[in-house]
Amino acid sequence: MTEWERQGETDCAQVVLRLFEYVDHEAADEDGRRIREHLDACGSCLREYERDLLLKELVKRACHREAAPETLRSQIMARISTIQVTTHVVREDPR
Amino acid sequence: MTLATLAPTDAGVRVPGALRFAGHSSPGTGLSWTSMTNDEVTEPATDESTNDESTNPDHEVDVEQETEAERAARFQREAMPLLDQMYSAALRTTRNPTDAEDLVQETYAKAFAAFHQYRPGTNLKAWMYRILTNTYINIYRKKQRQPLESDAAEVEDYQLARAAQHSSTGLRSAEAEALDHLPDSDVKRALASIGEDFRMAVYLADVEGYSYKEIAEIMETPIGTVMSRLHRGRKQLRDLLTDYALERGFINEATVKS
Repeated sequence: MTEWERQGETDCAQVVLRLFEYVDHEAADEDGRRIREHLDACGSCLREYERDLLLKELVKRACHREAAPETLRSQIMARISTIQVTTHVVREDPR
Repeated sequence: MTLATLAPTDAGVRVPGALRFAGHSSPGTGLSWTSMTNDEVTEPATDESTNDESTNPDHEVDVEQETEAERAARFQREAMPLLDQMYSAALRTTRNPTDAEDLVQETYAKAFAAFHQYRPGTNLKAWMYRILTNTYINIYRKKQRQPLESDAAEVEDYQLARAAQHSSTGLRSAEAEALDHLPDSDVKRALASIGEDFRMAVYLADVEGYSYKEIAEIMETPIGTVMSRLHRGRKQLRDLLTDYALERGFINEATVKS
């Protein structure tokens, strides 16, 4: 990141701003490298990172997949099946 | 719910501009769907929608040559396995089972009507998510008329707040420990309490594992807005969860403040 390069060093404020991107695996290679190096050396940023990571995991854990009600499935299926039967009529019409 | 859209005569139904996808030229819609072809990379291995791309004949279909019955059968094969995921997302989005069912019905009705516009072999789940998101916004948000958050301008505020917050870390790991012990119901409650744009962005990123770019395409917003929504949504989530942990006595004020 040019902005970082200009300043020559990676400070906490810069890292904290980009932690979400890092947690989401969206940080560009160079940013990721700088953040990783910083986290190795800075305990408070590391804790911040761990909390962000934890939050992401909590959300994923809480929102596990739930089965759709059978009635919903059969209603949708019924509609699609209806199409499959009735389309024959439609397709025989000259367009 | 308006299931009339599923009538056979609607095969050529006009899809709103926002729902046009790659494979059909759609000048002016901006976002191309063609870039979203790599669902397999981010899918968990257990996902039933993960098919071997090279061997699935449904990915090679010539949509022009297909009969409507064939298309209906293909829709059934491809879209029905996504039902649980769509329903789960709808539950989190609408926050109640009745609205979730209506939203999923409507999503499938629209997806089916527009299925000829979906390009075989591209990311169907993301395509369905886009319809779900769009449908939710169009139908349900109108009922609520929540004031629209202008999130772009607020990124800066957020960043300042976060930078300031950083200076007072202290016993954070104790707090993190406490958050980790919160029941899933608390996390769902917190998620239900934040703004819907934030909620959807967080859900798509954390539960579905979509990239910022994919979320931007699903939510039809710039990537910067996605990032802002994620930032703000997570900040709110974190604050709410900290409150819940306090209420439950998992942590005390001293732990949080420090």
